[in-house]
Amino acid sequence: MAPTLGKRKRVTREGLEQSSHLHSPSSASSNSDSEDVQDIFRRAFEAKFKPLDVEPQESKITEPEEEEEEEEEELEEDSDWSGISSEAEDEIEVIEHSTTRRLGDRLSKAEMRAFMSSKPPTSTIQTPSKPTFSKLAKDDDPTEASHLKNDLALQRLLRDSHLLSSLNSPSASGNSTPTLSLTGSSRHKSIDLHLQSLGAKSSIFTQKSMPMQDRKRILSKATQREERRRAEARENGIVLEKEKRVKKYVKERAKGVGGPGVGRFKGGTLTLSKRDIADITGGGRSGKGKGKGKGTYGKR
Amino acid sequence: MTDQTQPLLRFTGHRHLAIRLVLSTLTGRPIRISNIRSNSPTHQGLQPHEVSFIRLLDSITNGSKIEFGMSGSTLVYRPGLITGSAEGLGASNGVLNHEISKECRTRGITYFLIPLCLLAPFSKSPFNILFTGPGCITSATSSGDPSIDTLRTAILPLYKNFGVDRNLEIRILRRSCAPSRGKLAGGEVHFVFPHQIRLPRTLHLLNAGWVKRIRGVAYAIGVSGSNNARAIDAARGVLNKFVPDTYIFSDVSSAPLLPSPSDSNDPSGKTKGAVGFGLSLVAESSTGCFYSSDVASPPDGGTTPEDVGKQGAYQLLETISQGGCVEKCAATTVLVLMGMGSEDVGRLALGRDVVGSEEVVQLGRDLRAFGGAGWGFRDGRDEGEVVVSVVGRGVGNVGRKAA
Repeated sequence: MAPTLGKRKRVTREGLEQSSHLHSPSSASSNSDSEDVQDIFRRAFEAKFKPLDVEPQESKITEPEEEEEEEEEELEEDSDWSGISSEAEDEIEVIEHSTTRRLGDRLSKAEMRAFMSSKPPTSTIQTPSKPTFSKLAKDDDPTEASHLKNDLALQRLLRDSHLLSSLNSPSASGNSTPTLSLTGSSRHKSIDLHLQSLGAKSSIFTQKSMPMQDRKRILSKATQREERRRAEARENGIVLEKEKRVKKYVKERAKGVGGPGVGRFKGGTLTLSKRDIADITGGGRSGKGKGKGKGTYGKR
Repeated sequence: MTDQTQPLLRFTGHRHLAIRLVLSTLTGRPIRISNIRSNSPTHQGLQPHEVSFIRLLDSITNGSKIEFGMSGSTLVYRPGLITGSAEGLGASNGVLNHEISKECRTRGITYFLIPLCLLAPFSKSPFNILFTGPGCITSATSSGDPSIDTLRTAILPLYKNFGVDRNLEIRILRRSCAPSRGKLAGGEVHFVFPHQIRLPRTLHLLNAGWVKRIRGVAYAIGVSGSNNARAIDAARGVLNKFVPDTYIFSDVSSAPLLPSPSDSNDPSGKTKGAVGFGLSLVAESSTGCFYSSDVASPPDGGTTPEDVGKQGAYQLLETISQGGCVEKCAATTVLVLMGMGSEDVGRLALGRDVVGSEEVVQLGRDLRAFGGAGWGFRDGRDEGEVVVSVVGRGVGNVGRKAA
């Protein structure tokens, strides 16, 4: 970098001495030699930097900003400025920031609230970092959003397809045009299915309270229907899904607070049943089930 | 709880009255202060604000005994237990009301609050006090009390160093300025100090760091908000060169309305309280030390906001130039808390001018009189700094002993 800079400096020093004369309107009728030289310099400059306008550039730039205009005028005044030389290093550049109003004059509202609240301000006020991912998501907003929307619609359609097919079948209703949206009771059914897939314990259609006999009849009818279905399938050689066996609820042994962890404490003695002993020793369970069951039964 | 046979500690003079009363309450030693302005022909004895402070002390403690002499120039104080705003001991709905009468308008609210903050961590139950009345001044006063903003932003954060920082609050419900003759103040401040401790942590504060940010509050009460803007602009003009991270917030409020005292035929009549403006600046260092300055317009007016802003900025620069980890108006607080800490040596770097100030020197003498160990001094890292070593008393909160 340094050698190129030095080269540039050398070029401008010589060039500007002459170009300053050339720029002045008095020397408009200049000889061809100097023009050639200027051309060479300009080409060299343009190879390094942006192509530059020759005549009207200064007036264009200086118009909007007054401060720069003043600087430009100063530059024009000492027209024999010859690049960056060793003499220029002696001068001290003074930059004054005297204006108190700046762009970031106002603090964020959160910071103001933190300082002006009734509490003593904490020394570390965290400026809330702006979530960058939201901006990224916003960039490809239209496509991403539409994809998501379509995906949801497709899932709903798949879930409701059997409801729709029964609705659109000619036997169910008289309308000829098949619809893709559910209405009425079928919509409620769809919602129920969705709820169950999301983890609802029971259907919203199950009645909470009803006469016991009715409930029993419904349950027995349901098991009957299920059995018939399984029997038919077996006869026809169709493989069905595995039967779900409802686990019987086994009540845990109720232990009192401060009572023994194992056995029964009665009359000042800890009584261990055979099963407790088997649990502790952990061996020879097989073949003893019958006797054990009898024993416990007898004791009670 | 105080031992009646305990000998009285004897002090003379009206100076440092509040801090002596605080030390007496914290250590449980009864004191006798005599010759309180005994030579003054016009204002002999205790001043109204001092009486108000003693009454406040009485209401937050249980079992204190206060005896005045006939002329008011002698005071005997036997401290009780610091109970705070306990129900049944003057507090209603958990809030203790303290009305500051109009005779106390020479001193700001911080005259009461700074000593109160010292007592609050050692209380049995939380402090919850509402200050009202025609003598309640939230701004800085000419008698040297800092404004309430300075207390909240520069002194209260120091309690964090001692392990006291939970939910401390100073709610400025209504701002008020120092009133001129015939006017009233009428501010309202709600002071909540719910964090009580057994013993404050031992403090080692030796590195002051460098100032990284300056914050402040400009307040205008009953006058145009442009006064704030002008004061802020002037202050920033001085400070921006040193710390670019300078922000001063503006708070504009109307003058408080007070029930008219003079109009006896119109009981519902109201008068307007004092008006004015002021500036509170706080510089925070990279190690969590604070420097503050406070300027308010004088009660009679006659200053421009630019002067106030500029003076505040220069005052802040002066405070910073004094150096040390704690400025002058907070030094008492920090040193007392260190003295009440565990039986351990805490160290604190202070500027020479701060150590040499009258309050700090007298505090050191008073602490010794109350039975504390003397302070140790050695030269600090910087030229103008002195490291003060303070041994804690190790007694701490008597009310929390059993808890």
